[in-house]
Amino acid sequence: MATTNTEGSLVESARGTLTGVISPTTEREREYRRIFALVLPFAVLAVFGAIVPLVKLVQISVSVSKYHTSGFTLQFYRSLLSAGFGYYVFNTLWFGVVTTLASVAIGIALAHALEKYDLPFKGVLVTLVSFPISLPGIVAAFMMIILFGNTGFVTNAISWLTTTAPIISGLIADHSSTDVGFATSVLGLFFGYCYSMIPRATLLLRGSYAELNTDAEEAARTLGATSFETFRYVTLPQLRPGIVGAIILTFRTAMALFGTVLVLKSLNVLTLRISRLINVSFDIQTAAAMSIVFFAFTIVFTFIGLRYTAAEVGA
Amino acid sequence: MSATSRLRTGPIGRAAVYGTFVLTLVFLIGPILATFVSTFASSWTGVLPTGFVTLSHWERALGMTNTVGSSRGIGAGLQYSVLLALGGVLINLVVGIPIAYAIVRYDFPGRNLLSTFAVLPLVSGLILGIAFLRTYPKLSGTGISLIIGYSLLKAPFMVIAVKSSFEAMDLRQLEESARSLGASWPRAFLTVIVPNAAEGIVAGAIICWTLAAAEFNFSYIVYSRGAKPFSLFLFSNISNNGILQAAAAVSIYFLIVAAITLLLRTTGTNGFTYARS
Repeated sequence: MATTNTEGSLVESARGTLTGVISPTTEREREYRRIFALVLPFAVLAVFGAIVPLVKLVQISVSVSKYHTSGFTLQFYRSLLSAGFGYYVFNTLWFGVVTTLASVAIGIALAHALEKYDLPFKGVLVTLVSFPISLPGIVAAFMMIILFGNTGFVTNAISWLTTTAPIISGLIADHSSTDVGFATSVLGLFFGYCYSMIPRATLLLRGSYAELNTDAEEAARTLGATSFETFRYVTLPQLRPGIVGAIILTFRTAMALFGTVLVLKSLNVLTLRISRLINVSFDIQTAAAMSIVFFAFTIVFTFIGLRYTAAEVGA
Repeated sequence: MSATSRLRTGPIGRAAVYGTFVLTLVFLIGPILATFVSTFASSWTGVLPTGFVTLSHWERALGMTNTVGSSRGIGAGLQYSVLLALGGVLINLVVGIPIAYAIVRYDFPGRNLLSTFAVLPLVSGLILGIAFLRTYPKLSGTGISLIIGYSLLKAPFMVIAVKSSFEAMDLRQLEESARSLGASWPRAFLTVIVPNAAEGIVAGAIICWTLAAAEFNFSYIVYSRGAKPFSLFLFSNISNNGILQAAAAVSIYFLIVAAITLLLRTTGTNGFTYARS
């Protein structure tokens, strides 16, 4: 005789699992207890270090008062619907897309050279390529100032060349180096972003290259394909999940970059705007609202990207 | 398609890839070398720096001369950041090793989701910083909030490094051999499995430490008083000082990272790579 008391049986099974974890009797339950214990430190850090602060951030974004978190108002979210916020979002998105595509394209070339060609000192080259990952965004920005700033190396070189080569100097309206130096322009920011993103993209793609089926490529070559045809018809389809994964991860990096744009200040992206709201006017509610939107977008983008594209993120 | 036209694409493609590689490498590493070399010059107004050799920039950056404001040397900030980063790494070890093991060894519902959470940095340092400002106001600006932030932000790097080590080991066999010889599970984990993954753990610790020591986004928002973290020292130099003085400050960091990279090579890791090969 079956009694259909679904609520009761749900509580029963939950209690059963809990007792199973705390005082296990089967090997399976012991295993669950181990898994629980192993994951616990991470869970604690995630809860106190991330989840609690994020909940607080949501509270701030709906708070009425600036200096105490109290009340409930959606005015700050509504203020985001104005054209101003859309401007920052648009800047962040198009700039992120452009830098991501450029960085991943170059990353493919670099990964190809590192994995497929027989380069000398390969370990050293990998180390050199990955060096910028350890540099914070502000240092990457400084590198761009060194190269392209008003007294930058490339700037001065162009200046020097143009003043001594009359034919070329006619192509540039003014000879002064302040017109040639573009570190603090959007182009300089583009290079600054790529400086941080190319090494990351390259390393991700290296992982994909390592998993290629070289037999298929060899078969293609023996059957008479040129190296370009082999790359296009055999290698590239195998690489595609890895490339999509690299695009997703590199785009996330691009959107979250802050130090680089704080130093170069050339484009009003979202992270710069949020920091200005905090540091200049302490408009913490609007900043919190923007941060929550930004965070939600990142999470949704990551999960949809990883789930619905053929992306593979192997580490 | 004639045979000659088909043959030509190969060398062109190869040259293009090589060219891109060399150009990118120069773009990435060139400024680093230029910065370092220029710190020994007294001025840089033309294409190349002039006035070698002078150590005045280094003296100011290292705090060996009396200066004020942004020109002030690194002082206690470096030790402070070293200790903070160490704290962050310790937390990362306690947090990262177990979860990497759980993900690799066991199969349980929600494993893939957990793996994604552990491996991808889901919160940006900037947003976490703003959240921390209000959540833990009493901790604001103290080392503890910085340590917690660093460990959360850099945990994925530890998990990735340790995970790759675990994946290369036969975990089941190791665990079972140890247990069949009488070890309890905790003992098998701590004395057999973890030491076998030492290379990955050490590499992960070194990478996490370096990234935490130079963490900027989070520190910028959360810092309010006390000794300045190293990244903020770099920032004030880059924003306020002349190019050669800033170059000296930044070169301090280059030397640290170069030393760390050499140290990493002893664990078989080539630079700040994700996978270890």
